[in-house]
Amino acid sequence: MLDAIKDVVRKSSIHVCIVNCGGCNGCDVECVALLSPRYDLEQFGIYVHNNPREADVLLLTGAVTEQWKDNLKRIYDKAPEPKIAVAVGNCPISGDVFAQEGGHVNAPASNFIPVAAEIPGCPPRPNEILEAILAVGPQAIADRGREQK
Amino acid sequence: MIVPIGPIHPALKEPIRLKLQTEGERVVKAELEYGYVHRGIEKIMEGKTWQKAIYLSERVCGICSYEHTQTFAETIEQISDVDVPLRAQFLRVITNELDRIQSHLLGNSTFFKSMDHETLFMRVLEMREYAMDSIELLTGNRVNMGWNVVGGVRMDADERHFEPILKNLEIIENEFERTRALFAEGPALALRCKGIGVMTKKEAIKGRAVGPIGRASGIKEDYRVGHYTYDDHFDFKVIRRTEGDNYARTLTRFDEIPESISLIRQAIENIPEGEVRTPVDLKSGYAMRQNEAPRGEVTYMIETNGPLIKNISIRTPSIANMDSCAKYMIRDVPTVADAVATYATSDPCVACAERVAITNEAGKTTIKYLDEVI
Ligand code: SF4
Repeated sequence: MLDAIKDVVRKSSIHVCIVNCGGCNGCDVECVALLSPRYDLEQFGIYVHNNPREADVLLLTGAVTEQWKDNLKRIYDKAPEPKIAVAVGNCPISGDVFAQEGGHVNAPASNFIPVAAEIPGCPPRPNEILEAILAVGPQAIADRGREQK
Repeated sequence: MIVPIGPIHPALKEPIRLKLQTEGERVVKAELEYGYVHRGIEKIMEGKTWQKAIYLSERVCGICSYEHTQTFAETIEQISDVDVPLRAQFLRVITNELDRIQSHLLGNSTFFKSMDHETLFMRVLEMREYAMDSIELLTGNRVNMGWNVVGGVRMDADERHFEPILKNLEIIENEFERTRALFAEGPALALRCKGIGVMTKKEAIKGRAVGPIGRASGIKEDYRVGHYTYDDHFDFKVIRRTEGDNYARTLTRFDEIPESISLIRQAIENIPEGEVRTPVDLKSGYAMRQNEAPRGEVTYMIETNGPLIKNISIRTPSIANMDSCAKYMIRDVPTVADAVATYATSDPCVACAERVAITNEAGKTTIKYLDEVI
């Protein structure tokens, strides 16, 4: 009974934290564009506040630069269970153009933390990001909540 | 007491560490710690052809990605001594100004968010979506447009798209007056930003502040004045203020938007027929070009060896603006919240700022190009 209530509540209230681990910003601005009245993220019960300590979903952007090698895991650990990480853009998936000779990136991000969903694109469109959060967010969070028991 | 903020923090949009030294409630000093998004772009570009490098230059910064490609293309054009067709120049102006509108609106909305004014934040973001739509209509992409190539622009614009772009601009204009008045004449908001984070003209020169941030303190540099297309074919006013506080910086950004709209109108009205791309015979050489990005002057210094890039260095406006923000603006600010808001008015863009950082033996980080170039 309690679990069922928790599931319902969790599914309809997703807190998001954007973690930019070294991208060009393009993906971040598309995440910010999601907040605009046109897409209105909050009507889906998604709330962006950039505080890892309260986050359910970590939106990863960027290609994991040197400084983020250790910090990424630390930020991930700070977020309370249940949590999922969603990789936004080509950067955390493959390193995009930065993964070449001379670049200082350590993509993919899934080497450091478990990534639940990947949204390719450079940058992906806001509705794609929204779709991905809604597709994996609620169920993954509800499932994780149960595993913890 | 030192209050560290970042790298991931509700008040910050991008990873940077802000160290605020406080005395009671007051913030007396601030320090910035960079290095979280250093990717080594310039090093990757070395030895590549322009087709590859221009793709990378677009990804120096995602917010003002457009101006980077234009400056890159113009630098190579200068080395190779080619003139871009007039139609392409006009198309570049349209895209550049659309990009400026969206960037200024985003900058201001971030500031309103940091002041916790949700209404204005939402309204400004809503206006921005119309600029993004126009960019998408024209170029096919929203953020990284891939619009410039050496010798012109990638493709000709579809004339049918000019009509909806003008309509979008009208929507922005209709909203604009009310939104600006809400900020400029709203007593609560204006009181919270007048006289906060003041940077005088002298300090702005010392801190090398550029763009709207410098112009809010009375500096008159705008690199569109002196650019060949703007000088020969366009009419516009450089917006300047003298107060140098948060209020002035936000209003400078607001007031530049009608200017940009009028520039786009002029361009669409007078756009000539013709080619949009010329073949370029790549030469070896060195050139430097400066252009006005939404946040101020961006400089490209490129040395080429035939078709390959031998050496490149990029100077972006954000590094100078953020530095002068930490040094001169956040100094004796009443509260930590105001210090964060002041940081937001300097329109920081961390991704552009970080390409080369050197740590000396004492552990002090300096940004190489700032010291070398000036
Ligand atoms: S995926 Fe593309 S747009 Fe997104 S941060 Fe990386 S380079 Fe920028």
